[in-house]
Order: sequence, then structure tokens, then C-alpha cells
Amino acid sequence: MTGATVRRAGLPRDLHPGAWWLWALGLATAASRTTNPWLLLLILTVACHVVVVRRSDAPWAMAFRLYLYLGLAIVLLRVAFRVLLGGDTAGTVLVPLPTVPLPDWVAGIQLLGDVTAEAVLAGLYDGLRLATMVVCLGAANALANPKRLLASMPGALYEVGTAVVVALSVFPQLAESVQRVRRARRLRASGGGRVNAVRTIVVPVLEDAFDRSLQLAASMDSRGYGRAGAAPRRDRAVTGTLMVTGLLGVCVGVYATLDGTAPRVLAGPVLAVGLVVAAVGFVVAGRRVERTRYRPDRWRLPELLVVASGVGTAVVLFLTSSFDPQDVYPSLTPLTWPPVATLPLVGVLLGVLPSFVAPPPLRTPASGSRATEAVR
Amino acid sequence: MIRLVDVSFWYADTDVPTLDGVGLTIDEGELVLVVGRTGSGKSTLLGTLNGLVPHFSGGHLQGRVTVDGVSTAERPPRELAHVVGVVGQDPLAGFVTDTVEEELAYGMEQLGLRPDVMRRRVEETLDLLGIADLRGRPLRTLSGGQQQRVAIGSVLTMHPRVVVLDEPTSALDPTAAEDVLATLKRLVDDLGTTVVLAEHRMERVVPFADTMVVVRGDGGVDVGPPTDVLRRSEIAPPLVELGRVAGWDPLPLSVRDARRAAGPLRDRLATTPAPSVPELRGAEVLSARGVVVRHGATVAVRGVDLDLRRGEVVALMGRNGSGKSSLLWALQGSGARQGGTVAVDDAGQQVDPKRLGPRAARRHVGLVPQTASDLLYLETVDAECAAGDEESGAPAGSCRALLDRLAPGVVGDRHPRDLSEGQRLALVLSVQLCAAPPVLLLDEPTRGLDYDAKRVFARTVRTLADEGRAIVVATHDVELVAVTADRAVVLAEGEVVSAGATRDVLAGSPAFAPQVAKVLGEPWLTVDEVAAAVGAVP
Amino acid sequence: MSAPVVPRPDAPAVRTGRRSALVLTLASVAGLMMFVWPLLLDPGADDGQRTDAPFLFVLILPVVIGVVVAELSEDGMDSKALAMLGVLSAVNAALRPLGAGTAGIETVFFLLVLGGRVFGAGFGFALGCTSLFASAILTAGVGPWLPFQMMCAAWIGMGAGLLPRRVRGRAEIAMLAGYGVVVAYLFGMLMNLAFWPLLAGVEVPGHDGSLAYVPGAPLLENLHTFGVYTLLTSTAGWDTGRALTNAAGIVLLGPALLATLRRASRKASYGVRGTFGDRDHGPDEGSGPVVR
Repeated sequence: MTGATVRRAGLPRDLHPGAWWLWALGLATAASRTTNPWLLLLILTVACHVVVVRRSDAPWAMAFRLYLYLGLAIVLLRVAFRVLLGGDTAGTVLVPLPTVPLPDWVAGIQLLGDVTAEAVLAGLYDGLRLATMVVCLGAANALANPKRLLASMPGALYEVGTAVVVALSVFPQLAESVQRVRRARRLRASGGGRVNAVRTIVVPVLEDAFDRSLQLAASMDSRGYGRAGAAPRRDRAVTGTLMVTGLLGVCVGVYATLDGTAPRVLAGPVLAVGLVVAAVGFVVAGRRVERTRYRPDRWRLPELLVVASGVGTAVVLFLTSSFDPQDVYPSLTPLTWPPVATLPLVGVLLGVLPSFVAPPPLRTPASGSRATEAVR
Repeated sequence: MIRLVDVSFWYADTDVPTLDGVGLTIDEGELVLVVGRTGSGKSTLLGTLNGLVPHFSGGHLQGRVTVDGVSTAERPPRELAHVVGVVGQDPLAGFVTDTVEEELAYGMEQLGLRPDVMRRRVEETLDLLGIADLRGRPLRTLSGGQQQRVAIGSVLTMHPRVVVLDEPTSALDPTAAEDVLATLKRLVDDLGTTVVLAEHRMERVVPFADTMVVVRGDGGVDVGPPTDVLRRSEIAPPLVELGRVAGWDPLPLSVRDARRAAGPLRDRLATTPAPSVPELRGAEVLSARGVVVRHGATVAVRGVDLDLRRGEVVALMGRNGSGKSSLLWALQGSGARQGGTVAVDDAGQQVDPKRLGPRAARRHVGLVPQTASDLLYLETVDAECAAGDEESGAPAGSCRALLDRLAPGVVGDRHPRDLSEGQRLALVLSVQLCAAPPVLLLDEPTRGLDYDAKRVFARTVRTLADEGRAIVVATHDVELVAVTADRAVVLAEGEVVSAGATRDVLAGSPAFAPQVAKVLGEPWLTVDEVAAAVGAVP
Repeated sequence: MSAPVVPRPDAPAVRTGRRSALVLTLASVAGLMMFVWPLLLDPGADDGQRTDAPFLFVLILPVVIGVVVAELSEDGMDSKALAMLGVLSAVNAALRPLGAGTAGIETVFFLLVLGGRVFGAGFGFALGCTSLFASAILTAGVGPWLPFQMMCAAWIGMGAGLLPRRVRGRAEIAMLAGYGVVVAYLFGMLMNLAFWPLLAGVEVPGHDGSLAYVPGAPLLENLHTFGVYTLLTSTAGWDTGRALTNAAGIVLLGPALLATLRRASRKASYGVRGTFGDRDHGPDEGSGPVVR
């Protein structure tokens, strides 16, 4: 690699959204493999750090805080469940509380009861795990540009992707339309209560939106949408067969995964094969139409490194959970201080790599668009 | 380039053909102007050029349409996308993506062009249309003219040999419309693109059109060079009508032509008495002082005074964003008003419509907003009329009676959205007039109306005023103002920059002078005045 | 031309052939298993870590949904259906925040039901997916719950399209409102079921009396615990609120919205092909549904 490419790699640009998602999914997978609070907190810290360093100033990047709140709510909820519905549990009693028996139809369920350290910690660990996963996905939301993500959807999802793009661009128009109609409604002073009021707004807005959708369709048709879209019968048969077979595999695989009495070969392997076959059908279906992308996001070195760091974290925790489960699943009976082992710790720290290797994000220059909008 | 041979077309539910035996040949590099009333089949004719009719619309097409040697029967519109580009009336409705650059690239993505080719063409098109500074902007935040230029750009990137435009300027103000038409002229002159254009503002396009197609409305078309076609055409710009009145041959297509031919007429008119409009002295019904409207940080209206008298029509003019709409809404009482007073006469008492409830306010001041259809929400015309009676406390049937007066023959069980623009405007007017307000405010009522509908509308406005109402029309349409208004008020940046009798305000202004005034000078404003004067002399 | 008197069944906006139906069915079976996994789970003899299954499903479900949607669009989604899909998704996404924050007022479903009803099962399925996806992108609400919500919403839209087509008028509104109530509760229950073990915890030995999930316990026992769990946590608040919103939305706005949607559907004339020919009169009777 020459010096020039290094310098170019460091220029501000948006990283491929897929890379951010794979990195975040890697971290989330890692989180799903442990209930060790130290590791989970470390993953949280890593995710937050990368978000703070590498997010842009776009609106979706600002929503990250909500995921943190949601994570907190999950943890509290889990602990509250444990305390409220604790029942009688053996263990270290923190707060002695009486048990409140419930009527017969909810037999077997008791309210309150002694609050034990084991119960609270179990709730905390589980809650923290789910919260960490949610925050990891929140990190992907904050870092990846959703519109670019739609633009890099696989070919087979092109149509639906376009529908979502249309939805996103129609959305603000709807808000304007609603405001306009609401204002106009006062001019007619139609009575009839709130239902009628909603109706007098919703119907014109929808009529307007549908008329536009037809114009949009005509515009798309005359601009070449769906060109050469009709696949030959034989191709259709191939993709159809692949998809159906794949889905069958997934059905069997999912069932076998759940039912421990089923032969193991039906679980993991069949599920994996099913998914692969379905995915192949998917890819083949996407190849039928020749479309190209304007200024596509490319996979360059930083993208690969970001993905590698996420996947690396996941792999390390997977291995640890298989070989040294006590490192990642701290024991509650007997109650012990959660251990801190080197390997998983290093694994999680791998995840912080993007804050160094990912290029800094593009920041939108303050534009005059807001002002012109207000004037119009 | 394009050939229509004996083309007839039926929509799916009709026995009557919309197009009947149409023959048309368009050569490479021509600019073709298509005119006709709303509903005459103009859009249908344009739709046949790239196969949207009948592939998209349904229905049955008979005959043969070939584009660049390919029949539309064999190829759906998408397979013709690189040959024929189509631009619709409302650019925003046709946008698939949400930023300028992506929109320009969309068509090319469908064609499967290589990324480097796309990049190059996008840059070229941005420069060609002069919109390079808009490249990253969200489409929604652009002005109407900019949006329309992006829409044109989005088909140009596919390098089509023909560009078809269906009334691209009908929703634009005059300046934006000029921009768009100048862009089109450049396409024809510099790139040699064939342009087929349907346009209400004929007067802007006629001077440089090579061929004119009049869609008659009975299924047939009238094709020929503009001077020939205009001689026979029912609809014509004021300039041509003036030429007909004066008996000029060839008919003038531009103000310049007309001025050169107008010498004798001007001499003749100099000897006739100048047209005069009787002074109106009706009772004052609305008086506004120092009206201020602010939207956030921007001041839309800065201290405007306005008095309205019974029996007069006042035109409110000015560019987009000059505060016309905000002023109308403030006068009606529903809109924001941060300062000043508005007083309407209520049986001898002065009341502020803002203080009244919506129901009472509309008995004093009625307003028809820019998008008139926002007021309609029911499934049939009859239901709307009944609701109109109920809202106004008028006896059943009064709204329908008004509608029958304004637009006779509107079928009661039609859906309001299926009516023509003119009929829909009449319906909204009837609903608002039902409350019998002495003051009626109309916000850009003639957008999308053709010459005929405008003429009918102008008559309606005059009649309503003569019955003792005060009417304000906010509009860009100079010719309409010349025909109907007694007074004109011009706004700029929320302030009144000129006000007075229509003749004084319009005739002297280079921006607002109607075509007749441009040719004959003050005080002549309309063809009717000239005709009356000329008819009186011999 | 006289208007047709008999109400015609709505033309589906997205054609669903036999293969699409098969794919839909298989995907629904797979999807359903991923929802009711706590009831199916039998830990067997080996490891006890299989309560992690939902984490796996969060990754599998998007693939399953993707396959169905790809199949649907390949089988015939033209620009008209696609534009309508986009617009309706935007409307749904716009409706959704209206109810957020108010306990149980979930405004996203009633239009989904009406849309599925008018435009057909295939369209309804796609609409459910795109509505929730668009809304998640707009509010940056992509999370592990999203694939599950999308699948549920897709079923709701699809189911609405499968209801008897001939029912019209008041009966239709009653039927749709009833459907709205049923799916509101079903939606709540399925979402609860999938995430129950994650939120209420998994029973560990030496700890009883909670609403927690017991892996491998008899079906009825878990079902009972779950019933109590969902009754206590959701039924009274969220689910009933959702059911009431659905029913009220459909009863009050349904007639007007159905009329509007049907008008749009007629105007778009899905599946109607233009014809060419040399005959000297209009199209014959069978060439397409009568418009207007």
C-alpha cells in the first residue's frame, strides 16, 4: 500500500453502512455469549466510544441516546420482575419480604417473597446482556446511513428497497400536506365532532398521496424502472426451487434446533444449508436485472478492518464460551465474584478498532436550505 | 423521429374515442407545441409517444405509433426510456429519490450504465441546467422552478432523443416558468433534442415552436406551422387575437413582430377615446391597517393597509414568497397575524374576523386556498354540496344552485377529484359562497386552468363582484388581471410597492404589462377594449 | 357508460402465483416456530444453552422475510403497486408516532388491515414489512424486535387480504373491525411469547414461583405461566388499547378510507393491460375490469 492510498483512506467519508452493521452485529453476538457483567460493561463502553468518535451529525446519529435509555429500562425491568415475582428462593437474603399468594387460577405464582442477592444478580446479568445487544444495534443505527444501506440492498430486494426509499421521501411531504389541509379545514368550518375532523383531514391527504403515487409510477415506468425485469421461465423455476428448498431446510432446522430429542444433524447443519440455499436463490433472483449503482459504496481496507474487529470479538467470545464457560457465565450458585479473564477481555477490546481505522465521518456544512424552506 | 399513423384510442370504459384517427410526424430536432383544452386528450396524445398509453393507462390503441423506428406496441415505456424522456406537470410527484444528484442518476441506474459514465453525465447535466450548486440538496427544499429543471435533468442524463413535457410550467410562477422554457429552448438550439411540449402559456412558446398541434377535443388534431394553425384555432394568445382583430397577415407570434405591424393600428387608436372604466364607489366592507404576519424568523407581511369596497375586484400581485397568501389568510382570520387590525362590517358594527369562530368568520370573509381540493373530502359532488349547506346554515339546495350557476351541468354523483380543474374550482367556490360572505379571497385560482376556463372564471368573478361582493384575487396572471380587476396591489417582501387602478399599475410596468399594452402602449390593456374601439371607428 | 352495479372484488395489486403462495406458507411456518419457540423448546439431553435461540432467530428471520419479499416482487410487482406500497408505508410510518407514548394506542395497524383488504394478500404482506421497516428507519428504531414486528405486521396485512372478498358494506366493516381486535391480541401475544424468556427470565433450579419460562416443561404448564404473564403485563393495557384503536379506527374511518383506497385501486387499474389492434371499435368486454 502506498502512502497516497493511506492518506486517501484517512479522508473524511462515510464508511460503508454494511461494515458498521456487521461490526455491530459482531459485538451483539459477542454480548449474547456472555452474562459476565464486566465483559458486558466493557462491550457497552466500546460501542459508546466508537459511536461518539465516529458518528456524523445526521438525525439518525442523534438517536443513540434513546437506545441507552432503552437499555437501562430493560435492566430495571428484569430486576423488578425478579423482585416482584420472586417467590421463595433459597440464597443470600438481602431484604426479607413476606410472600403474597395469588388465587388459584394463577397457581404456582407468588408475589414478592425474600429478595435474594442471587435473584437480583440473575436479573441484572440477563438484563444487562439484552441491554448490551440493544445498545450495539443502536450503535449501528447511529453510525450507518440508512439511505446508503438501502442503496446497497441485494438485487433481489431492489423493488422493496425502492418502495422504502419512496416512503422515506414521501414522508415529509405528508406532514406538509396534513398541515395544509388542517389549515384549509378551518375555512370550511365543518362540524360533526372529532371523528369528522379526522376524516376531513385524512381523506384529502390520502387522495393527494394516491394521485401522486400514480404519477410517480408513470414517471418510474418512463424512466426505465423494471427494464428487462421479466425473467425467463427457466430462471424463475431455478430461483423458485432454490427458495422453496431453502425455506424447507430452515423450517426443519429451526424445529430441530428447538427440539433436543431430534437428531443433531437436523439442527445446525440443515439450518445452515437451508439458509445458504435460500440465500443462493436470493442472489440468483437479484441477478436477473441489469442495474448499476451511482457512486456505489465500495469495500475498502477500513471497511474490512471494521468488519474484522466485530467478527473477531464475536469469535473470541464464542470460543471462550465453548471452552471456558465459567469465564463468561459467572456462577450464581454458589455466589461468586465474576472472574476477569484475559482472553475474552482482549477479544472485546478488539471491537474498539474502528475508532482508529474508520475514516472520520462527513459533516454536513450549514446550508441555506432551512431558510429557503421557511420563506416558501 | 416520431410517427403516428391513423391512431385512435379508447379508455377502458368508454365507447367514445379520446383520439380518433390522429396522424402526426415529428422530425428530428423539432420543437412541437401541443395545445388544447383540459380534457381534450392532450395528455393522452403525449402519453402515446412513449407507450404509457396504453401500456400504463389501460385501454385500447389502434393504429401505429413508432418512435425512432420502433413501434410502441412492441416495447413498453421502460424499454423506450433511453429514446423518449417524459417530464410531468408536478415535478415533486415524479421524484423517486430525495436528493438532486441521486435523482439525476436514477434513470441511468435503470439503464445499467457504468458508474464512471453516470458520474460524468451527472456532472454535465448539472452544468447544462445551471443547477450544480444544488447537487446535494434535498429535492423537497428546492423552489418549483428548480425542481422542474431537476426533473428535466433527470431524463436528460439518459440522453434521450426526444423529450416530452406535459405542461411543465403550469404550477410555476412566471419567472420560474421563463427559466424552464429558456432551458428547453437551449435543448432544442444547442443539443438538437426533439422537444414535444404541452403548454397553456402558449405566448411564451409560440415564437420558437416549429410545429403546433391543436388537440380539438373531438378526437382530431390540427397540425401545422404556428402561424397557419393559429389562424383557425379557437384558443390563441392575446397577441394573436389582437392580430386577428387588426387583420394582420402573417399573424404576429412575438411582441416584436406585433409592434412592427402595429403602426397603423396605433395611429387609428390615437383618434378614438381611451377606454375608461366607471369609477366604483361601493360601501367599504373590509378595512385592514398595518397587518403584520411572521412565520418564525421571517416576516411575510410588513404593515400592509388594504380597504375593500363592495363591487370591486382587487388583484394581488407579486412574486412567490412576497406575502400574498399570508396576507389573504390574515385577512380571513384563520391565518396568523402578529400585528395590525382587520375590521369587517357586521350590520353596522366593526368586528375582527380573527375574534369570531371559524363558522362566523366565513360568513364575513370567504377564502379559497391555493390547493382548492384541500377543502373537499366527500365522495360525491352532491355530498359536498349538502355539507356546504349544512356548514353555512343555508337552506338545502342553495350550494347546488350556486354550482349550477357557476358551472352548469356538473353531474351530482361524480367524485370531486374526477372533475376538471374548472369544475372543481366552481364547486369549492360554491361551497364557500354558500355562507354568503361579502368578501371573497381567492388564492391563485387560475393555476392549471386553460384559456377557456380562465375566460369563464373571469366572467364569474366579474358577476360575483357586480352582485355587491368585494373580491381579492392573488395571481401571477397578468392577462387575467387586465381583464377582471378594478384595482391592483403589488407586494414585494411583504410590503405594498404599488397600488392603484389596474390600468395605472399594469400598463406602465415592464414586468406586469399585458401583451396588448406591450404592443400598443398605454392605456390599452385587453383585446376586447381594442376591438370595441376599432369597431366603433369605421 | 353506465356505472357497474355489482361491487366487483378488488383486483390484487401484487399477483401471487402458486409458487409465491408456497413460499409464503413455508416462510410463515418457519416464522411461527420462531415466535412460539419457548413452547417447542425441548432441551433434550445435551447442553442447556439453547435458550439463546432467539438471538439466532433475530438473524434468521430477516433472511426468511427477505426471501418472501423477493419472491413477491419477482412474481409481479409493477411500478404502480410499488409506488402505492411506498406511499402507504409512508402514511403508516407517519401514523405510528401518533400513538407512541400513549399506552396501547397503536395506530399502525388499522390502515394496514384496510390496505391488505383492498390491495390483496401479497400486497398486504409486503406492506406490513415495508411499513414497519420505514418507520424503524425514520425513528432509528432498528433493534432485535424489528424482524419479529415486521413478520407479525406482514401476517396482519396478508390475513386482511385473505378474508372473504364478497362481504361488503356494514358487514365488511364489522368483519374488519373484528379482525382488527383479534389481530391486536394475537400480535401482543406472539411478540410477548417470543421475548418472554428474555424479559421474564428463564427458570433456574432452586428458584420458583415466578412468571419465568421453564425450558422443557410440559406445554400446558408453560402455556399457563405464559398466559398469566401476558395477562398481567400486556392484555389489560397494551393489547386492549391496541384492539380498541383498531376497532375504533376501522369503524369510524373505515368506510371513508375503504372508498378512498378502492378509488385509488380502480384508478391504478392493477393488472389491466393496454391492448393494441386494428379493429375499428373499442375493447371487447373481457379485456379488463370496467373503470369508474
